[in-house]
Amino acid sequence: MSGTVRATLERASPARIARRPTRPQLIRASVTTVLLLFAFFALPELLSLYYIDTMTQVAVYSMVTLALGLLVGRVGLFSLGQAAVLAIGAWAAARLLFATTQPYPLVLLEAGLITMVAGLLIGLPALRLRGLYLALITLMLAGGITVVLATVNFPNGGHGFLGYNGSLLHIPPIRRPSIAASDPAYYRFSVIIAIVMFALVLAHIKTKPGRAWAAIRQSEAAALAAGINIWFYKLWAFALASFITGVAGGVLAGAIHYLYSINFPTQDSITLLAVTLMGGVFSLWGAVVAGILYQFLPALLNNWGVSADWLIILFGLGVLQVLTTAPAGLADQVPRDLRRLGHLLGTLIRRFRRGPGGDGA
Amino acid sequence: MRRHDSARRTILLAATLALAAAGCSSSGSSSTASGTGSTPAGGSSSSAGAATVDTSSCGSKPGVQATGTPIPLGAIATNQPGTSFTDIPNMAKAYFDCVNANGGINGHPIKLYIATEQTNPAQIAADAKQLVQTDKVVGIVGSTSIIECSINSSYWQKLGFYVIDSGIAPECYSTPNSAAVNMGPRYSSDGAVQYALAQHVSKVVFDQANVPGTGYIAAGPNALAKAASTPIVDLTENVPITDANSVAIKEVNDAGPGGAVILNFTPPQALVILQAAQKLGLENRVKLWGCSTPCNTDFLATSLGSKWNGKLFVNAELAPPDDTNTPSMNLYKAILKQYGSSVQGGIGSFSQMGFTEAEIAVHALQSITGPYTVQSVNAAFKAVKDFDTGQLCQLWTYGAYPLHIPNNSDWTVTPKDGKMTTAQGCTLISKVDPQIAQYRNVAGTAANAPA
Amino acid sequence: MPPWANFEPFIVSGLALGGVYALSGVGLVVLYRATGVLYLAFGAIGALGALIAWSLTTRAGAPGWAGWLACVAVAGAVTLGYGLLFGPALAKRDPLIKAVATIGLTLILYGVMDLLWTTSGGQARSLTLPTDNGGFTVAQIQVTWTQVIALAAGVVLTVGTGAFLRFTKLGTAMRAMANDRDITATLGVPVRRVEAAAWLGCGILGGVAGLLLADLVALDATTLTFLVISSLAAVLIARLRSITVTFVAAIVIGLLHDLLTPIASLTSYRDMTPFVIAAIGLLVLSRHQVMTQSREEA
Repeated sequence: MSGTVRATLERASPARIARRPTRPQLIRASVTTVLLLFAFFALPELLSLYYIDTMTQVAVYSMVTLALGLLVGRVGLFSLGQAAVLAIGAWAAARLLFATTQPYPLVLLEAGLITMVAGLLIGLPALRLRGLYLALITLMLAGGITVVLATVNFPNGGHGFLGYNGSLLHIPPIRRPSIAASDPAYYRFSVIIAIVMFALVLAHIKTKPGRAWAAIRQSEAAALAAGINIWFYKLWAFALASFITGVAGGVLAGAIHYLYSINFPTQDSITLLAVTLMGGVFSLWGAVVAGILYQFLPALLNNWGVSADWLIILFGLGVLQVLTTAPAGLADQVPRDLRRLGHLLGTLIRRFRRGPGGDGA
Repeated sequence: MRRHDSARRTILLAATLALAAAGCSSSGSSSTASGTGSTPAGGSSSSAGAATVDTSSCGSKPGVQATGTPIPLGAIATNQPGTSFTDIPNMAKAYFDCVNANGGINGHPIKLYIATEQTNPAQIAADAKQLVQTDKVVGIVGSTSIIECSINSSYWQKLGFYVIDSGIAPECYSTPNSAAVNMGPRYSSDGAVQYALAQHVSKVVFDQANVPGTGYIAAGPNALAKAASTPIVDLTENVPITDANSVAIKEVNDAGPGGAVILNFTPPQALVILQAAQKLGLENRVKLWGCSTPCNTDFLATSLGSKWNGKLFVNAELAPPDDTNTPSMNLYKAILKQYGSSVQGGIGSFSQMGFTEAEIAVHALQSITGPYTVQSVNAAFKAVKDFDTGQLCQLWTYGAYPLHIPNNSDWTVTPKDGKMTTAQGCTLISKVDPQIAQYRNVAGTAANAPA
Repeated sequence: MPPWANFEPFIVSGLALGGVYALSGVGLVVLYRATGVLYLAFGAIGALGALIAWSLTTRAGAPGWAGWLACVAVAGAVTLGYGLLFGPALAKRDPLIKAVATIGLTLILYGVMDLLWTTSGGQARSLTLPTDNGGFTVAQIQVTWTQVIALAAGVVLTVGTGAFLRFTKLGTAMRAMANDRDITATLGVPVRRVEAAAWLGCGILGGVAGLLLADLVALDATTLTFLVISSLAAVLIARLRSITVTFVAAIVIGLLHDLLTPIASLTSYRDMTPFVIAAIGLLVLSRHQVMTQSREEA
């Protein structure tokens, strides 16, 4: 039985099957490309600096929700500690940026690797726990990290391992890459990094790890019976998610120039999970939607003078909505609803064209 | 089952839309609450004088509505669960509304754009750019934020903005482009510690909230204690505090019977610590309790009760509203009453700060002849010298200095039967604090405002 | 290392803090055993009730007991509403999903509380109960009756609800429903009524705890809502099963947290105590087995 399943998995790899891309796939790919090109070239020209800064944050947090969505949607591991992992990545990047003059992409890579190691250290023992226990232990670990951060603080140009000097009268800003120093340029830089991270996840999903994760999420017992090394693939998921979040932390450090421990409270991990669920954990677009919910909506509401509290209420309602009626989130529900709306409009137009006598009124 | 699903979905969707609609309709007043928490405790007393004061004295042409092209000004304020400073720019706006209804600035109304933030550096930087590039403000008046001065000070320097704000972060006091009407946590804590040292306490315990800048803030009290040869212990607590008992016991143990405990927290956190001390029976175990200026609210005095009468000494950066009966104070109360519907804390230091900042701005703007541009407005702000605000101990000056601490003399108040009353009049902050010394070297010591 | 006398008052305050954690923690476990849901909105619902009680007594001038009644009534009503609306839809789902759904409720309540009871203008609220005025002295510090009541409430909950769930018909029905709703229904148990009773009980418990916690900790929406995170430590160590272990773990965590206070090198890290203990405890408990929370274990 296991031999057959494993053989099926291996036979299904893209190298074995010569598949021509289907028409819907081509359409999807071209739409994605057009949107990405638009976001990269056109958006900075059209938006004010306020919204360009906001979109940089959207790019950063899309990476975070991508990682969280990977854990939750692909592998079924609920993590309530993502904000703490982001803080670790930001901390590592800030320390390196102040202490060395390395080029930015190298710093991002190093921050990602450091965070990955931290994520593995956490993931290794925690993987013996499942479901609710795993979620709660990640919350506990996030709480602990938050307290440590509140005491050691983020690097601000000081000396020593922690790099924090508490009595500075003027804190130096965290540097940006020399080619991406201005806000529109840094926005483009963060979009590129985000695209790389999304491509990384896509590559994983389309190959063996993706199939293994899908099998594990479906049923761990069956996956085990099929000969899949569950521990290894779960750890891989943790490592990948931590790496991506670490890189996001590095991009965040350069975006906002100043890091404070009060910006990474434990509550943020809860809100991140809420928006990730709302965006949709089963599709990559869901991560972008979640990033928009988390960063763009607050900026919009701030501009309109609406209190941020309404957004918190909206996120709470969104979580309930997703869990009870729309498990695939907005990324799945909105296209479906739009399609349904399109059908409805089509039917109405046809009925109108037929005339009032045509439907027995 | 499907029927229940769609019913539930409809309910959720309807609820979301209703909230969104309600949210959109409440735009323009970011944190208006309905009823329950918004009326101040001691607000209605001592306003007998205010009821008869004509607010039209705020402007130059009483009763004449200003109809010219508006002068856009901006402010950035923190507004997040647990910390909200929107009262300050809202009160400034109330003052501007009064001025606009009484002649404006040479017929031009002032339009204040208030951007709120949730202590997110990206958002704060974006808010500044929004104000400058989209709202085209020509000056910044009324900003009050935990970290805004740190984030934006180089931006304001680059653009040539001379900001009038209520400072918290170090950069509000240590850079050329920001001058505050308040003293901020460091110099206010200096004031509280200074009062304690003047009572000859044997030891000082300085406890503060673990928010950005603790090292910078503690440097002032440490310098004062060292100069007085008094040992000092620096503590920090993570906020919000969930275990006030251990905090209170630790402070009292460290201070000892002849010592003083000085707190630097927001009112809710200070209240929690003081109440814990009282419930534990510790309030008499030290010689003196002190607090920096955030504690100076009647809310706190009422909630603490009579056991703290004459036991807690709070540094006050602004004139005690209940003890002061001057035209300026009465004008403040009248404007608050007539135009200050979005100011939720009522009479108190927050709205006083907003009033003072707006007052200074209007005084500066009225001196401008010619167009109101970034250059002319900020030059006028910088040129403000020896202005009597009626709310501060000293005359207020901006000036072209590398740092600004224009409010460096304070009162000390103590709670008495639900109100804060004056315990000591205007006292200069000691120049043992190196920053104060540096400021007085370049700017001199301002004279006290006429009583 | 400070002298022993310095630690004495912290033993007393540590027990008080332990009582606070125990009240929250035991409440969470009791609710989990009765409904199968880890009710993470426990803190928020208590905060809402306490703020309503505050508004009634200080703003509207109502007598103390009317405020308390309103607190418990509102907490019960909101929880019952949530349970009836979302309980059946989520009944078949994993306990994790049910817990995450209560996060949704927590966020809604938190946003509503900050809108209605703003902290603008330096407002500071506090709730005092009449039992604050009396007490006795131990180790040179005063212990109020409120703290005693909180500790006693934790004990009563532990003993009483354990017995209720095991020995009474309603309690057994609740446990059966938390385990498997459909099978319980086929056995002829009036599921809707039992469910309503369980949720209403939850809400009332949350309201009472909210009053005590608002008095003992702070009357602040943020503090009370997220206090539940620290209380989860004790709940986790008990693996959401044993109420007694939750109680004991909570007391130990509270004691340890406060006993670290006079140690200068560790005092700034003492807020980590619940998290560290939970992490160590869980890892030790799971070293020989994979721990999974399936419906059969409720």
